[in-house]
Amino acid sequence: MTTVADTYKERREKMLLPLAERLEAHLKSVFDGYPRIDRISVRAKSIERFVAKSEKQNDGKPKYDDPLNQIQDQLGARIVTFYKNDVEQLAEEVKKYFRYIESRQIVPDSEREFGYEGRHFILFLPRDVFDETVREEDSIPFFELQIKTLFQHAWSEAEHDLGYKPSAELSSEQKRRLAFTAAQAWGADQMFEELYKQTTHSA
Amino acid sequence: MEIGAIHSFLIHAGKNQENPHDINGTAVAKSGRLFDMLKRIFDNAEDECQHDISFVPDNDAEQRNECRDSFLAYLGTCDLPTGRQIAKRLQGVTTNKSGLGLLFLMVGEHKGVTKIVVSRFPADSGILAEEKAKGLSVEFLERIFMKSATSYKAAVYSGRSHDKDFWKGKAVDKQINSAESYISNYWIRDFLRSDFLTPGEAGTRRFAVAVRDAMNQTSESKVKEDIAALHHFVSGMPKKVVSAKDVLNQFHVSEGTQNEIKAKFHREALFDERFRFVPDEFLKHVAFKTVELDNGGLLTASTDRFDNVFKKDIVDQSHDIVKFSTQGKVVNQRFRKTKS
Repeated sequence: MTTVADTYKERREKMLLPLAERLEAHLKSVFDGYPRIDRISVRAKSIERFVAKSEKQNDGKPKYDDPLNQIQDQLGARIVTFYKNDVEQLAEEVKKYFRYIESRQIVPDSEREFGYEGRHFILFLPRDVFDETVREEDSIPFFELQIKTLFQHAWSEAEHDLGYKPSAELSSEQKRRLAFTAAQAWGADQMFEELYKQTTHSA
Repeated sequence: MEIGAIHSFLIHAGKNQENPHDINGTAVAKSGRLFDMLKRIFDNAEDECQHDISFVPDNDAEQRNECRDSFLAYLGTCDLPTGRQIAKRLQGVTTNKSGLGLLFLMVGEHKGVTKIVVSRFPADSGILAEEKAKGLSVEFLERIFMKSATSYKAAVYSGRSHDKDFWKGKAVDKQINSAESYISNYWIRDFLRSDFLTPGEAGTRRFAVAVRDAMNQTSESKVKEDIAALHHFVSGMPKKVVSAKDVLNQFHVSEGTQNEIKAKFHREALFDERFRFVPDEFLKHVAFKTVELDNGGLLTASTDRFDNVFKKDIVDQSHDIVKFSTQGKVVNQRFRKTKS
């Protein structure tokens, strides 16, 4: 019997990996010349992480009944930029060149918390990335784009890595430490933003 | 694909009206001449609807669009009450200028793929001529609904999952190039709450890059001249819905040059795709023009001012010898490693 993992593995090799490469080239071409972009990268979600996500539960029921069609970040792109102000400016540019069905600023639930932050989009794959080998009509329609500052990027990478360690859930103390690093990243972004504004205006 | 349900509604103008007209609707029988005509529209919808469109979210944070929601509700029940919600939506954006129309909703399903076609026939008047044994009878008719060549509108969507599919589709609107924005916005923006799948900036950028690459990579002087002239025309083109092919035909660009530009598109479908042309975006990608002479001279200026900055005189036409001259104050000089 063919499992979700088998189907995803085949899709990943035949469709997602070539699309990731082309999408990265396309994004780099569109944003060529924009200031303070540290990197632009696109990845096809790993089989392990896709399977883990497809098995997620909501109130004791599977979150996805058709994960191959419902999970929208099978292709994930990220633009990393220097300052917080750049994130919003780039988000406006993204809206000019890509059609989206969702555009959100993700911040912690309460003002007392520090954690994941980022600008997220669910975008239609641009028609420029398709050809006869990967046809538009056979493809997934969307990809996820995150725009982050350097500090948001560094924090989310480490946090994601820790979250997928096999040694079970983090303890309360460990979560507290993680929140502390998020607060430091948030503070560093605030400082750099201020410094950037001060130096730009005084120049 | 077999049609599972067809409903039709008469749509009066209702935009900004406090007491809009009641909407009458009916199920259409799946046999007879009307059905045969509608079946042809249903089957050919993907070919007829040439504009790739997508729904736009009602608010940025949520993957929802009220028009898409009304289509999904209709796909779930395929009955008159849910169809009437779509009709109400169309009535709410219909002005007196758009006038009376007949809306058809058609749904079919095959091998797990569901397809919905939505079409609007405008009302017209006409004359019925009937030949009889002892002559001819003519009669004026009102409320004739025609698949008008100038104002017929339709849209088609298909998908497997009501949850995640049906975000993009195809549409036809014979009035889309109209200078009157209320007409061109009526079907796609107001009723379907959609926009072109390729945003104006993206389509214009793709076209500009193809023109620039064709200019830079061809060795044919005729192609270069054609493209230089094309730039002049395109720079003054207003914001309107075009494809790269439309633009090149509009300005009578030679076949050879068209082929050079077309070859720079990744796929032929992109050459034919329509988008809303954005003049500033075009100029951004062809900002500077450089002319190189066989004596080693390189002349560079902003593309739109090049002909004003450098005066060109023909010295010897038979040998293509020209003289460029310019006058100004030196404000800078620089060294470069390469020519480009």
